[in-house]
Amino acid sequence: MGDADADRENREVVLMNKYGMHVRPAGLFAKAASRFKADIYVEKNGVVVSGKSIMALMTLEAVCGTPLILSAIGEQGTEALDELEGLIARKFDIPDEQ
Amino acid sequence: MGQEPDSFMSDIPQSKVTVPVITVRDFMDNAAGRFTMELVAGRDGLDKVIDEPVVHRPGLALSGFYDHFAAERIQVIGMAEYTFIQVMSEAERIACFKTMFDHNVPCIVFPGGNQIFPSVLKLAECYGVVVFKSPDLTRYFMMSAMVLLEELSSPRCKIHATMVDVSGMGVLLEGKSGLGKSETALGLIKRGHALVADDLTCVRRHGINHLVATSTETARDFMEIRGIGMLNIRQVFGVGAVRREKQIDLVLTLMRQSEVEHSLDRTGCEQLTRDFLGVQLPQRIIPVAPGRSLVNLAETAAQEQKLRMSGYVAVEELDKRILELHSKKEIGRG
Repeated sequence: MGDADADRENREVVLMNKYGMHVRPAGLFAKAASRFKADIYVEKNGVVVSGKSIMALMTLEAVCGTPLILSAIGEQGTEALDELEGLIARKFDIPDEQ
Repeated sequence: MGQEPDSFMSDIPQSKVTVPVITVRDFMDNAAGRFTMELVAGRDGLDKVIDEPVVHRPGLALSGFYDHFAAERIQVIGMAEYTFIQVMSEAERIACFKTMFDHNVPCIVFPGGNQIFPSVLKLAECYGVVVFKSPDLTRYFMMSAMVLLEELSSPRCKIHATMVDVSGMGVLLEGKSGLGKSETALGLIKRGHALVADDLTCVRRHGINHLVATSTETARDFMEIRGIGMLNIRQVFGVGAVRREKQIDLVLTLMRQSEVEHSLDRTGCEQLTRDFLGVQLPQRIIPVAPGRSLVNLAETAAQEQKLRMSGYVAVEELDKRILELHSKKEIGRG
């Protein structure tokens, strides 16, 4: 791992909620990500977007079953990834999408 | 101490650059509104990839000279080629096109409204080479096709930035989440400027040293403003407040004051550049601090860049004035 990646942590996840990354999940994800100091990025097939941006998350066009790579750079990175991974696993706590 | 100027924002992960693969079908489907073209034979070849997405006049090849023949390109049978094959015997003509099709050309086009020989159409059908006819004059067809092919095949990527057309200047606002890119864009829109893309901008190279920005289809016209939610800018402010695509003239990088510290040039002598897809764009680092009006700064930076592009650089004039004053004093003393 190069120096530039020294404080970067990656986590592979699979989107599990019924309708994928539409407005509501994107909003919940960005809100959760924004609580942490670390910069959060979400990658799908080489496209990397900010995990704190609802607009960008929606445009990923990630459907149920899409594998994503979450990465965090900086302070609180691990906590942020734990939280976000949990949110995805819990299908964003949206009742209709379990 | 802050970072070296050339590394501002370079620590941000970027999406991969893609260079689209163009098929004959892509070429056909996107022709609408640019030039007229009709498929007349070889439908089976529609999914053939155009390895070199440019147009080519086969000229010499038709006479049998195939050294360095650009077989990977779209072959255009212009008036010269057409006249040449017109005087051939039917057998010669068939042999001539057989040789060309054996080189596995992606497709051929007969512009200028010329009638296509039935024997050629039959041959193309056998070989699965798409043949198009176009009523457009060869030179116009060639120009329009080149522009389209370049647009379809140029390298592109998606970047975390907001794009606004500020009085005709394409301004790309980049910076980490929460620094105020979208709010700045909203302020600019309120002042009569137009939104191109919010938060995620698709960038495509145009020619060698230009970049064109556009929005994703999904997010077009929409913005997210904290405290308000999703806004449809076209609905709220009217069609004049949005723009489909715009060339990027200036990159404004928003950074926290604490991140830039005192490393910034304050005079405007240094022209920083930001690299996207191998194109160097003029860049300004805008330190974000309470009480700074980013809308004002963005608008003024755009106007200033416009002046620079026309050849006027304020700092140079000021320096010239000071130096002239100095030289007068020296003469006076002597």
